[in-house]
Amino acid sequence: MVEERRILYEHLDVPDINTFDVFRQYDGYTRFEKAIAEYQPEDIAKMVLDSGLKGRGGAGFSTGEKWSFVPKDIKPCYLCCNADESEPGTFSNRYVLEKNPHLLIEGILICCYAMGIETTYIYIRGEFTLGKKMLDAAIKEAYEQGYLGKDIRGTGLNVDIYSHPGAGAYICGEETGLIESLEGKRGQPRNKPPFPAVEGVFRKPTVVQNVETLCNLPFIIGNGVEWYTQMGPTYADTRFDPPKPDANTGTKLYCISGDVNEPGVYELDLGLTSTELIEVAGGLRGEEVKAVIPGGSSAPILTHYELDTRLDFTSLTLAKSMLGSGGIIVMNETRNIVDCLLNIMKFYAHESCGQCTPCRWGTPWVRDIVQRIADGDGRKDTITRPKFGVAENGRWGDTGETEEIYEDLDLLESVANNIANVDTMTWNTICVFGIAVSWPAVSYMRKFRPEFEATIREGKLVTLPVAEATVPPEENYAYQQRFVPKEFADL
Amino acid sequence: MSDELIQIETPFAFNEENQREFDELIGRYPIKEAAMLPTLHLAQNQTGYITPAVMKYVAEQLEVSVMKVKDVVTFYPMFFEEPVGDYVIRVCHTLPCALRDCKVVLEHLKEKLGTDIASETNLAKGTTADGKFTLMKVECLASCDVAPVIMVNGDLHKNLTPEKVDELLAKLAS
Ligand SMILES: Cc1cc2nc3c(=O)[nH]c(=O)nc-3n(C[C@H](O)[C@H](O)[C@H](O)COP(=O)(O)O)c2cc1C
Ligand code: SF4
Ligand code: FES
Repeated sequence: MVEERRILYEHLDVPDINTFDVFRQYDGYTRFEKAIAEYQPEDIAKMVLDSGLKGRGGAGFSTGEKWSFVPKDIKPCYLCCNADESEPGTFSNRYVLEKNPHLLIEGILICCYAMGIETTYIYIRGEFTLGKKMLDAAIKEAYEQGYLGKDIRGTGLNVDIYSHPGAGAYICGEETGLIESLEGKRGQPRNKPPFPAVEGVFRKPTVVQNVETLCNLPFIIGNGVEWYTQMGPTYADTRFDPPKPDANTGTKLYCISGDVNEPGVYELDLGLTSTELIEVAGGLRGEEVKAVIPGGSSAPILTHYELDTRLDFTSLTLAKSMLGSGGIIVMNETRNIVDCLLNIMKFYAHESCGQCTPCRWGTPWVRDIVQRIADGDGRKDTITRPKFGVAENGRWGDTGETEEIYEDLDLLESVANNIANVDTMTWNTICVFGIAVSWPAVSYMRKFRPEFEATIREGKLVTLPVAEATVPPEENYAYQQRFVPKEFADL
Repeated sequence: MSDELIQIETPFAFNEENQREFDELIGRYPIKEAAMLPTLHLAQNQTGYITPAVMKYVAEQLEVSVMKVKDVVTFYPMFFEEPVGDYVIRVCHTLPCALRDCKVVLEHLKEKLGTDIASETNLAKGTTADGKFTLMKVECLASCDVAPVIMVNGDLHKNLTPEKVDELLAKLAS
């Protein structure tokens, strides 16, 4: 069985690790001290780039690369830590905030030193009452101990950290929505470009980084890049010449929920499969896996044929899905996929910020179609297509084949694809919330089409056995791509 | 919205403690408006919900129009424009909780409290006659590993069953 490798979570359960003194006993702030004593800011940025660290918040964008876009001559520059964790199925940031907030502060300090940043806002989800309390206490302690504020430990470095509460809107997790919200407005995402790295909060360059991403920094600095890159696969993308390394390095705080015996956060090297992860999480609760959502509710679903897809950024992208926030939701044979999709579409219909017409109207429309299907009123029709062949009377003529068509399924796909097209990966919206809507809608419907059809045909929710509910691999639009091709061989 | 159009029943002002906190808050941002969300949270904690008077007061403090404050208040589900019960019970109903039977918990709460579920535009619908509880559905509370979960005011309650709900309600009622 795959072993857990606890790095970010290593000391999570140490009593009172949330206090400065105990955190200090476990190497707390020594990595930051090492950073300022041994390295120049540019060295840190280079190390982060070389480590291959990818953002853990959703987009999976290279952190070092993102930092390189920040103009050096415009000051002030801000850091926004994204602690808005609201993607359904994700809950790893919460434990860091509640149990080990000093680790996040240390990560922030390293980032601030590397980027010459003096002000950080931690945008923390409004519902995280306990998390905010613990975080605020830790920030206060760090000020008292001289690790925050003016002239930190006599180095001339100034860093202020402020926590900023959200107020229950999912879209404020999107980086530009977060920025708008931080500025005291509705959390409605901005058009990009300009990207936040160039023009973000208060119209100044802004680095937006997830809690987990920042918590990786102390370990990259403390143990070195070589140590870090040993964990997780690095592929070689030979579409580039010379081949470009595609790193999936480090550990990931996989959040697993749904039908497993021991749901929770498991810290594992990137790149294990769903089957392995389910085993780590105490095995399946039920007889058979029906489906797995690999990266929070926005990610396209995987069928039981696709459980050997590795859960890393590259492999899941090739499988036309995504690692996203690392929230893995497992469903067993008793689950009805139409019902699951309905639940998710209700979520998105509720959370659209309402700025773009395709999203504002399309998302509730998709929800209503799924609702109609689930209620047993899904629209279907029987049409007769003229087809010439040998008819029953032995003569050449119209054999009049009839075919069932499922209007609502076509409509569902068409509406979803008009919010954001999953095949061409183009969207008609300001932010990629649009993709987060159409990805589940289209993937559930295409991959579990027999279950949708049966539900429409019977006029009530029908849960088919796993094998019958799933389209076979050869008809699965995403199946063929899912293996890391040979040219992506392990580096 | 011009000021004359707002019916101000009881004027609002921060109490001493909140005023201190507000003064500290405002120094954190290069523009005052950015303190909007934390300020509204402070105000709501003081009054229970955001009244027109609160909006007017916050607008004055942050030097923005009342309309802007209203704009923000209506966007975020955590701000209430109507009175709510002493205990706001938020029941998570997103997929991972649904897979762990949050429906049972919700139905049980409805039955025990004898109330419907509040909607964002009608909080009274989910508030008990004695004004003690408000029942509402919310999206994923980022605790899916201990599903089904509910939040009562600021506190999270995990792995709920109807029995645990009964215990909890008994404790809250006393
Ligand atoms: C609809 C939507 C919701 C998002 N929600 C979150 C979130 O809750 N937490 C988060 O860290 N990132 C979230 N993101 C991703 C952020 O936009 C951004 O990519 C991320 O915070 C960047 O940090 P990272 O590079 O460290 O991952 C969301 C993105 C979208 C489109
Ligand atoms: S896509 Fe949806 S959530 Fe994103 S900006 Fe447009 S309306 Fe808002
Ligand atoms: S779905 Fe209920 S806490 Fe995540």
